[in-house]
Amino acid sequence: MARMAEMVASRTDGDVLVGLGLGSCIGLALVDGGHRAAALAHIVLPAASRHGAAAAAKFADTAVPALVQDMERLGVRRHSLSAVIVGGAQMFSMGGGMDIGSRNEAAVRDALRSARIPVIAAQTGGSVGRTIRVRVGDRYVSYKEAGGPEVNLLAAMEEVAA
Amino acid sequence: MDLTELQLDALREMANIGSGNAATALAAMLGRPVDLSVPSAKALPLADAVEAVGHVDELITAVGIPVVGDLGATVLLTFQPDHAATLCGFLGAAGDPEMELSALQEIGNILGSAYINAMGSMCGLELEPAPPLAASDMLGAIVSSVLAPVAAYSDMALLLDSAMLVEGSECRFGFLFVPDEEGVATVLGRLGLWGHAA
Repeated sequence: MARMAEMVASRTDGDVLVGLGLGSCIGLALVDGGHRAAALAHIVLPAASRHGAAAAAKFADTAVPALVQDMERLGVRRHSLSAVIVGGAQMFSMGGGMDIGSRNEAAVRDALRSARIPVIAAQTGGSVGRTIRVRVGDRYVSYKEAGGPEVNLLAAMEEVAA
Repeated sequence: MDLTELQLDALREMANIGSGNAATALAAMLGRPVDLSVPSAKALPLADAVEAVGHVDELITAVGIPVVGDLGATVLLTFQPDHAATLCGFLGAAGDPEMELSALQEIGNILGSAYINAMGSMCGLELEPAPPLAASDMLGAIVSSVLAPVAAYSDMALLLDSAMLVEGSECRFGFLFVPDEEGVATVLGRLGLWGHAA
């Protein structure tokens, strides 16, 4: 479970990494090509402030390097990483200039571009909350909205590959 | 955000006065007595703060009232959806989702104004409510989005939390005041409880 501003990583088959109830926050999952390992961060804001010793997972710009480091520690090479992004909504629509969700998504995509990690699937924006689930050892990264079905974002790609 | 017991007590007392004023305003609006729980004041790590409000994946209806002026804060009312419908029924606005939403926003506006007026006059602060916003979704998605601006400068969030119950009904809801870090300092400063005075 990656709660607000937390991150988790695993290379144990069958482990499920979960980010529950993402609103303007982003659930950023990194997976490797063989799906042996996965890491998930629950990102709250675009960029670290001067405030210092905060949790790395809290900000997009510090979360991406921290996730990469976790994956390398699990024996995954950086060039085999790809990313899935879920969240970044504006929960209270018509919130004006306070749309943290879309700023979060832009910052996460920027940070991934700098780290040369491709985004292979995303379910973002709008004004709905979402939950992300990543199953280790499987081509499975899903999103779920309140009252909706759980949808594997990587299922369609599997069919294409097969 | 490291707060002493004395500071938390002062904030709790302020929440008591604010939510007391809000409960009185709601009772006048509904023409029914409204009970108020004793407020709590908690400074918690962000993730714990979300869980202190309720189950993260529970479906709720919420009304958020941004507070502007001398401090940044949000007032958040949280309802189980059927309790929100009951409350709307008291105002003759049950059934139609759009009417319900606008009734809840109006309730949010009145309760939020009453709360921050009491707080503003107690602390000598100019505070105004911005237009209320309503949403129905997972509790975690809503509460974490309210806490996000607080997270910019702090790993902790202060929650001033109470519950209201409309007497003789099943309608109960949560009433939450979330100041940003600077807001906490501002309020405590006005109460003479910030910095050296603490």
